[in-house]
Amino acid sequence: MSETQTGTTRIQRSQSSRTRSRKPKKNQIPYAIGVFAAIAAIGIILSTVSANLGIFWFTGSIFGFILQRSRFCFTASMRDPSLTGSTTVTRAVLIAFAITTIGFWAIKYGAFLRGLPIPGQGYIAPVSFATAIGALFFGIGMVIAGGCASGTLMRVGEGFTMQLISLLFFIIGSLWGAHDFGWWKLNVISEGRPVFLPDVLGWGGAIVVQLLLIGCLYVMADKWENRKKESDS
Amino acid sequence: MAEYELDCFGEACPIPLVKAEKKLDEMVVGDILIVLIDHSCAMKNVPEWARKQGHNVEIDEVDDGEWEVVIEKMK
Repeated sequence: MSETQTGTTRIQRSQSSRTRSRKPKKNQIPYAIGVFAAIAAIGIILSTVSANLGIFWFTGSIFGFILQRSRFCFTASMRDPSLTGSTTVTRAVLIAFAITTIGFWAIKYGAFLRGLPIPGQGYIAPVSFATAIGALFFGIGMVIAGGCASGTLMRVGEGFTMQLISLLFFIIGSLWGAHDFGWWKLNVISEGRPVFLPDVLGWGGAIVVQLLLIGCLYVMADKWENRKKESDS
Repeated sequence: MAEYELDCFGEACPIPLVKAEKKLDEMVVGDILIVLIDHSCAMKNVPEWARKQGHNVEIDEVDDGEWEVVIEKMK
């Protein structure tokens, strides 16, 4: 749905507010070309330093671009179901999870089949109550700050100055967290048990169970949105 | 038919929505609310919410990154 199309007649608003709002807009195409050229140039320079650095630069730029254009917001995906009853973003996030599940499964299973070390196993963190408590804190923080980590970065890039404050404290918090992380890991996080689903359910079972869970959440999100609609009308 | 304006410049995501919701409650059917926002996320969820409530909604990009969401209260 385009943002200007409403499918209804134009709303009659007073003349004064209409004329006031009309300002000539600057053509942004030259800026776009300039930024694109700068991204390419910096990417080329970085890749001469290290191939990885170049890849990080380009994937980061592409990720940011998609995030901004799609208005993808993890905060909204968790907050809007209770605030407005809308689960559009929630379902988009679930679809993204399903796609990444298949992608990561393929990468890991591919490596397993060829007898190679499975990539990314170092990221399997122990699960315990610490995970749930941390998630709750993160959730409270991101709703107050108006964005999660990626959302905050994206909006600062858009020029939304209020979230510069979020970014500042996001950096302070990250540094503080990184500083004390060793203690937390030793005393709290390592109390939990790391779970790698293919070890428990087998490779086929792992992907089926995970996709089924995501599918259930999707159906629940869909039901939630329609339930709200019926009770409102 | 009154026209109200809600200045939400510089307010992050859920705040414009909550303010618009409260303001709409005070208004009568046929009144028009103009919400001024400069937060891209609110630009998406305010119109979506208002349309779902059954109001007429129009979006005007007034300037680069500044929008006016015009809501006509329908019920």
